[in-house]
Amino acid sequence: MQQRLWWRLMPLSLAEWRHHPWRHAVALLAVALGVALAASVQMINASALAEFSQAVRSVNGQPDAVLGATSLQDGFDDTVFATLATDEAVALASPLLEQDLPARREPPAASAGDARDAAAAAGAQAQREAQALPGSQRLRVVGVDLLTVGLLTPDLVPSLAISPTAAPTAAATPDGPDTAWGRLAADRVYLNAAARQQLGLEQGDSLQLLGVHGWQRFTVAGALPAGGAPLAVLDIAAAQTRLGPAGRLSRVDLRLVAGVDRERWQRQVLGAQPPPGVRWLRSEDAVQRVSNLSRAYRVNLGVLAMVALLVGGFLVYSVVSLSVAQRLPQLALLGVLGLAAADRRRLILFESALLGLLGSALGLAAGAGLAALALRLLGADLGGGYFAGVAPVLHWPWPVLAACFALGTAAAVLGAWWPARQAERLAPAMALKGLGDADGARGDASALPGGVLLALGGLLALAPPIAGLPLAAYAAVALLLAGGVVLVPVVVRWLLALPLASHQPVALLAWRRAHFARGTASATVAGVVASLALSVAITVMVASFRSAVADWLQTVLPADLYVRGVGSSPLPPGLVARASALPEVRLVEAGRQRAISLAPQQPAVMLLARELGAQPAHRLPLVGDALPPQPSLPAGVVDAWISEPMVALYGWRPGQRVALPLADAPGGALQLQLRGVWRDYGRQFGAVAINRADYQRVTGDDRFNELALWLQPGSSADTVGQRLQALVAGEAALETIGTQTLRQLSLKIFDRSFAVTHYLQAVAIAVGLVGVAASLSAQVLARRKEFGLLAHLGFTRRQVMAMVAAETTAWLAAGVLTGLALGAAMAVVLVHVVNPQSFHWSMPLQWPGWRLAMLASAVLVSGMLAAAWTARRAASHHAVLAVKEDW
Amino acid sequence: MTPAPTGRRGWLRLLLAQAALSATAAGARDAGLDAGRDPKRDAQHDAIGPAAAPSDGAERLLDNQVLPGRRLQFPRDHGAHSGTAIEWWYLTGWLGPPGAADAPALAQPMYGFQITFFRVRSPLAAVPSSQAAGRFAPRQLLMAHVAVTDLAGRAHHHAQRLARWSGEETWPEAHARHADTGLALGPWRLRREADGPRSRYRCRVAAPEMGLALDLTLTSTQPLLLQGDQGFSQKGPARAQASHYYTQPQLAVRAELGLAGKRQVLAGSAWLDHEWSQSLLPSDAVGWDWMGINLHDGGALTAFVLRRADGSALWGGGSHRPKGGSVRAFEASEVRFSALAWWTSPATGARYPVHWQVDTPLGRFELRALLDAQEMDGRAGTGLVYWEGLSALHDGQGQRIGLGYLEMTGRAGKLRLGLSG
Repeated sequence: MQQRLWWRLMPLSLAEWRHHPWRHAVALLAVALGVALAASVQMINASALAEFSQAVRSVNGQPDAVLGATSLQDGFDDTVFATLATDEAVALASPLLEQDLPARREPPAASAGDARDAAAAAGAQAQREAQALPGSQRLRVVGVDLLTVGLLTPDLVPSLAISPTAAPTAAATPDGPDTAWGRLAADRVYLNAAARQQLGLEQGDSLQLLGVHGWQRFTVAGALPAGGAPLAVLDIAAAQTRLGPAGRLSRVDLRLVAGVDRERWQRQVLGAQPPPGVRWLRSEDAVQRVSNLSRAYRVNLGVLAMVALLVGGFLVYSVVSLSVAQRLPQLALLGVLGLAAADRRRLILFESALLGLLGSALGLAAGAGLAALALRLLGADLGGGYFAGVAPVLHWPWPVLAACFALGTAAAVLGAWWPARQAERLAPAMALKGLGDADGARGDASALPGGVLLALGGLLALAPPIAGLPLAAYAAVALLLAGGVVLVPVVVRWLLALPLASHQPVALLAWRRAHFARGTASATVAGVVASLALSVAITVMVASFRSAVADWLQTVLPADLYVRGVGSSPLPPGLVARASALPEVRLVEAGRQRAISLAPQQPAVMLLARELGAQPAHRLPLVGDALPPQPSLPAGVVDAWISEPMVALYGWRPGQRVALPLADAPGGALQLQLRGVWRDYGRQFGAVAINRADYQRVTGDDRFNELALWLQPGSSADTVGQRLQALVAGEAALETIGTQTLRQLSLKIFDRSFAVTHYLQAVAIAVGLVGVAASLSAQVLARRKEFGLLAHLGFTRRQVMAMVAAETTAWLAAGVLTGLALGAAMAVVLVHVVNPQSFHWSMPLQWPGWRLAMLASAVLVSGMLAAAWTARRAASHHAVLAVKEDW
Repeated sequence: MTPAPTGRRGWLRLLLAQAALSATAAGARDAGLDAGRDPKRDAQHDAIGPAAAPSDGAERLLDNQVLPGRRLQFPRDHGAHSGTAIEWWYLTGWLGPPGAADAPALAQPMYGFQITFFRVRSPLAAVPSSQAAGRFAPRQLLMAHVAVTDLAGRAHHHAQRLARWSGEETWPEAHARHADTGLALGPWRLRREADGPRSRYRCRVAAPEMGLALDLTLTSTQPLLLQGDQGFSQKGPARAQASHYYTQPQLAVRAELGLAGKRQVLAGSAWLDHEWSQSLLPSDAVGWDWMGINLHDGGALTAFVLRRADGSALWGGGSHRPKGGSVRAFEASEVRFSALAWWTSPATGARYPVHWQVDTPLGRFELRALLDAQEMDGRAGTGLVYWEGLSALHDGQGQRIGLGYLEMTGRAGKLRLGLSG
């Protein structure tokens, strides 16, 4: 019955939309924008994860159990393989040595035996030269047992012909590449499509890989079916002997005999405490790890989506308020004709729900388009450049998308809640006479609801993260915003409680009017408050973050030039001496970095063994003070300073003594005495810094894979970097970078990744201003008779306009003040709650006063302009006539 | 592009064929046929672990060749000859209740078993160790098959394993000892130990995926039987087509068999073959039919023919040794296999004769498979498909005179165990 009634009333709603298409379109678009942003973030993430997990499955197969290395760089001793392979519960044990190595093409030497047509070869050569990228690229290189890998991981079984057009190049000799044994030959490597494309290689071409013994030459002997990121496969024996490290594995995939209780068997076969260097993994851990990696951008974009959605909600509020104000006579007539008050409210809510549904649907479609575009342009890894030419399939994470849809609709319905109440409460008879100005007549706005919302928001901000995401903090931000908007009338009252000095009639009228009609103020400036508050919050957060990163870069990069080995390979032992001998070099410090995986679902933690000196505070950006050294540290226990994520992810605290698994430390673990926490924006998943001398003493490992160089004044970091590269040419590949360049590069990357927030702020503020204009139009229309009366009393058009502008300015001022205050509160939540909870790092709060002032005045000025424009329309001659309407 | 199972099978078959091919070449080199090469240098490339490397290089070289007149020396020749292309240790027998083997003529076998360890030399065996060293150097390939025929349950259970072997005897997960029989492939083991003049073999293979576990202790009751000419067994018209081949018949078996969750202690009689070669089959042969029978009177009867693609016999041979007597080797012309009844494998579609008439110098016999479905379908793993089953030998009066195994290869496409060269 009710439903039928609303459908009958649809023509009324349609007429309203037809009369004011732009206004409603803007509200619709604001909702759509929020939904689109949220949905596209989720879809890109789902697609990336699906692509990745497919790649993981493709490379990992579906093993029942996986034994992995605790340190991905070091691997583990392959004697463990014997234990597993001789166990009767193991149906198949597949050893793997997985490494990220620098790879480079080698122009094929002109061979006399080459059967290919010379001209064609020259053409192909030229084409490949054109595609050639300077230097080397990282390539994932997996050594597998090519005899058995197919039984567990069919995607890693090479097929010989890359393309039907490829000419057979090798003769069918017994160990030629086209024989089964030939596949195992130590000079053969197999590439998947992405790797061939990335390196521009075809079957028969030469590929060089940089292993522990320097550059090694391989022949591309076939293709791999495995999709995903560039991947090279070779036989495990070749991987161990030619690329190294000899006798080490990074993984053993196992197929267990049916019916074996995996957990129990794992405890039995290697003991409850697996030997040093190894750990049991689950295949889904890898996907979880990547999901953790992508958290950063998801959180960032999630905040932006929320901004858009909230602004959309407030815009709906403004638009619907306006629409209700304009349709008061219509609604009153319906009331007189028997439409119950509650049904009037429902009618308004129904209309807004339709708006919200439409906006959300539009948003989902736009989100899908956005996601598809982003995937096409940036790839599933969002810019990693892995999947060039291979567009990942768009995934539809339906539950999450449904949530986005619901949020969009909810934002619209909530936005319409107050105007709908207004429609419910109107007195039909009064309104029909044009007297039903619903606001102003009521009692004073109470500070209580707003205060409660603010308090709730404050409390929620203190809540811990939910599922590793700052969901409570997001809710807190939304509540703070809602509370702030509800409090606008109270702020107006406080502002206008001061007696007005001027007794000029126009000013007095405006003052009084603004004061008494302050209930309407919320509707007018809600959009401004919301968009300004969110802009302020994001501006403050980004500014705080940037200055913190700049400070951090200053502390962590004290030297002038940094050098590290490409890949995980250590640098040549004599490099320190040779670098010190360079005339431009004042001081050289060597460091060792090792990736250690502490928890299977988390990306690896970095162990940094560096020269920290007697005062680690000079080398590490410590948070708070470090604990003093313990007077008598047992032998083998090492002082350590941990980065903030170690506290958040692993619960480590200064003062504790913890064990860091490290195969070559005594007992398979490094005993650490934690002395302090430092800030690290470079490694989101944790780092542990210790003195290199301590590291060498305990592990006996005096290799190093990074150098910090202090140069003589006036020498160029680039020149020294090039000289170092030349020193070790052919024996190792170096990455060198000057500190200046590194800092600039870091900040540039930072700015680029936050650039999108500026555009979004602009959009939010524009949407807020549209809200101001829409709301004012509503006011003005509702006050046509008042203006007419004023005109009859002798007010000039200018004076009416000035009055409206003055009123609005008062409200805008209140809105801007509220927005600034709210934005500050939300910035505190973003900086101190959302960031630590999402990224596990802290930063000091910075107030970019100048930028905030600019922002506030820009909003105030553009708001006044919008008001003036509206007032101009209001004071048109229609108003003069309006007075006659009822008389 | 996911390789179909057939692709994988093809690959493994190819691999085995190539191994044989290249090992043939290596064998030719070793024999000094390739004048341009120094056989000693090639031999040094055989990555034999230090524990096994004999001090005398010449003797080492001899171990890797198949030559007429070479005297087999034990226990050394119980061990692996990793310079040769193909080698296997092949154990078959029947099992019944304890005591069943005391009166073999009356015994009612409950189970048949077959356990084979294959060693295949890789063409990469000669790769210098700077290119392939360590645990996973693919110098050799080890394979093993186990099959148990459940006569009461009319079922044939089989499983297989495959692993590379670097040639180092100390790796627990896969090796073949050189000094004596000592084979390991994952958890599967076959080891010989001397017990006075006797041999005692211990074998454990468990294939939990088939619900199968077999623990065997096999004790010799007779001297070794050298097949062919003092262990040089010709496998074709050309002299080079030969293997070294000896048999240990009439092994007394004590077994613990786990099958489908049930453990049984059983006894029976078994047969062990150890054979190594550079090239087993002439190029125009596609497979062979073979039988090895423990006669109830204590004798041992071997007979085989190599078939051409059209089914005609290319070569044949065999031997008979009465209990306590000396071996009589059969000429190629003296052995004839005639099929009397056929069985078609529902899995591979291959047709196998399961009822034979076998003519030997000892007389005419009938050989009947005790179960038709004893095909070894290794397509999912090693790629080998052959029929290998417990069979009974009957004399002209229909009297059962022996139990043993019948083997038929190359009937599901040409056999590619490298034996076909």
